[in-house]
Amino acid sequence: MSATASKVCLLGDFGVGKTSLVARYVRNTFSDNYLTTVGVKVDSKEVPLPDGAARKLVIWDIAGKSGLDALNMSYLRGASGLLLVADGTREATLRSAVDLLLQSRTLLPDAHAILLINKLDLVDRWEVAPATLVELRKSMPVIETSARQGDGVEQAFLEMATRLNA
Amino acid sequence: MNGPSVNDRISPELERQIGRLLFEKMQPLLLEFDRDWHLVNLHGDAALFGFAPDNAANSVQQLQDLFLGMPMDGAIDLPFVQMPNGRNAHVHLMLVDGGHQVLLIDAQGEHDRQQAQQQVGNESFLIAQQKDKAVRQLRQIRSELESQRNRLQEANALKNALIATLSHDFRTPLASIFGYLHLLEEEPDAPLETRNSLRALRRNANYLFALAENLLEYARSETRSSLLAPVVTDLEMMVEDLDQMFRVQAEDVGLGFSITLDREPGNPPVLDELRLRQILVNLIANAIRYTQSGSVKVSLAWRGGSLVLSVRDTGVGIAQEASQAVFVPFNRAGNAGNGGAGLGLSIVKRLVQQMLGTLEFESRLGEGTCFRIELPDLTHLVQKVDAPVESEAGQTHADRASSVLIVDDDPDMSHLLGEIMAGVGFRVRVVADATRAVEQALADPPDILLVDVELPGLSGNTAVFRLRAKGYRGHVVTISATPTEEARKVALNAGANQFMTKPINIEQFTRAMLRVRRSD
Repeated sequence: MSATASKVCLLGDFGVGKTSLVARYVRNTFSDNYLTTVGVKVDSKEVPLPDGAARKLVIWDIAGKSGLDALNMSYLRGASGLLLVADGTREATLRSAVDLLLQSRTLLPDAHAILLINKLDLVDRWEVAPATLVELRKSMPVIETSARQGDGVEQAFLEMATRLNA
Repeated sequence: MNGPSVNDRISPELERQIGRLLFEKMQPLLLEFDRDWHLVNLHGDAALFGFAPDNAANSVQQLQDLFLGMPMDGAIDLPFVQMPNGRNAHVHLMLVDGGHQVLLIDAQGEHDRQQAQQQVGNESFLIAQQKDKAVRQLRQIRSELESQRNRLQEANALKNALIATLSHDFRTPLASIFGYLHLLEEEPDAPLETRNSLRALRRNANYLFALAENLLEYARSETRSSLLAPVVTDLEMMVEDLDQMFRVQAEDVGLGFSITLDREPGNPPVLDELRLRQILVNLIANAIRYTQSGSVKVSLAWRGGSLVLSVRDTGVGIAQEASQAVFVPFNRAGNAGNGGAGLGLSIVKRLVQQMLGTLEFESRLGEGTCFRIELPDLTHLVQKVDAPVESEAGQTHADRASSVLIVDDDPDMSHLLGEIMAGVGFRVRVVADATRAVEQALADPPDILLVDVELPGLSGNTAVFRLRAKGYRGHVVTISATPTEEARKVALNAGANQFMTKPINIEQFTRAMLRVRRSD
């Protein structure tokens, strides 16, 4: 019997590492070259869950923007989960991620949302303060990730799959 | 008028031609599915979009995933979707009777154009942001460096003030020590043990005095550039003073000691006397400190408008590689075991430079060192050369000088001065503050007023000024622990006839007082 599939969209400002997170998770690869995404790339991966079940994630890597336009809204339709991605070295991208979440709530009021703060490997250059993350954790799950080194990546998608399966 | 004909309908033939053209450009792939997503029909080049005929089920699943969760109640447009082979397409889902159709239109060209455009914009934005961040960080670093520099400057100023205060405050007790030493050394019947003890006292007092002088000079040079204070310099007196200061010290450690002066007649030397004395004190003290056996020979020669002085010892010598390090403050060039703060030579070098002179030295390890310094006459630097410190600025008092009023809040110092003055026949009175000094001097004017500058309440200079303003005409000697030209000028401007610095040379002081009395 095939695993239940869920659509999960990655949203965030450009250059925060959404495509790299998917590449790390789905293909276990990483490239230092930044190539902006136009439109959407769709990948899928089946996630085995601790209880023995599995959940297929259809992952939509949507072009990075600080706000949602009509095009991005059309990509969001049918999503059950949102991975909001920010770049720890650029605090403004954290504000964008929160804005994107608020805007997407009009279309997806019940979607599960997890905030990923990427570029953990550059933590010495982070602008996002630990105290800010403590505050954010009170309202949503927050995971620090590094697409370059893989830290937190598996954990992020597993967390989403677990929440979708609950 | 001839012009293009306008027709609101496109002919069927033209429409077919346009359709063919667009079809060729867009390279559409149309997939027809039944309600259960079973592929029924396919039109176009499936391979262009990465759909492999031998893996049709997987390809169909990927297409189906695109519409996961979406309500299938109408047409759905998904622009710029990356296909399994990486090619980009516009995806359109259309509902038809009995199923649905998915139309893929090639969008790779448009995708690449948009990507190139956005790539440039995004990279520019990121670079600008990094640049802003770098500029902010640099500003912050600069600001931190400035505040650190300010803190260091503040700490340095405090350190210098502390050093200056300490070395200044050394002078008054040292003046007492030297004075009482002198009185004790004059005792003709003192036993040998007592004389030896007094020699040890003088040696250590000399060391403390030189150290205080050096620390004061060190602090002064860090806080401001020292101005030269050229005065007619009594070299004979200086040689006599240095001989008295160092002969006993050298002899106590078994060294021969000589100090000679070769002076051409006329043309009195105009030099910065305080600095010259400090140079000699440092060089001689170093020579004695670093010589275990043999001798220390000092010579001064005043000829042709310049003073040449040399200090030659038969001591440990200075290694070639340490020849520059010896002039670095607090560096003792490997002779750490011999005592001393390591300031002497650095100060000598600075003082020589300030006096526009030259310094050179020759040294052989284990054989000795000879420092040679040449200092030019400084007459050209002053329009009117100040009188030597022991000369009188004006002898205006008429009566025979036989009474003295000593004004000093340090009882040891006032007692010492009282002993000395009484010893040469003066009638002595002592007060401890400036207000009482003014009252007493006006009530019963003394022939000589010996006044300390640093007094509680009114300063000694203020007292002198008030007395002069009220007509006091006696001889005023101001004694200060601040050995600067500025302090001397302030004292003389206030009305003093003489300015002496602590610790005073008792013999020099006594002779000066006797001269005042003889001149009346």
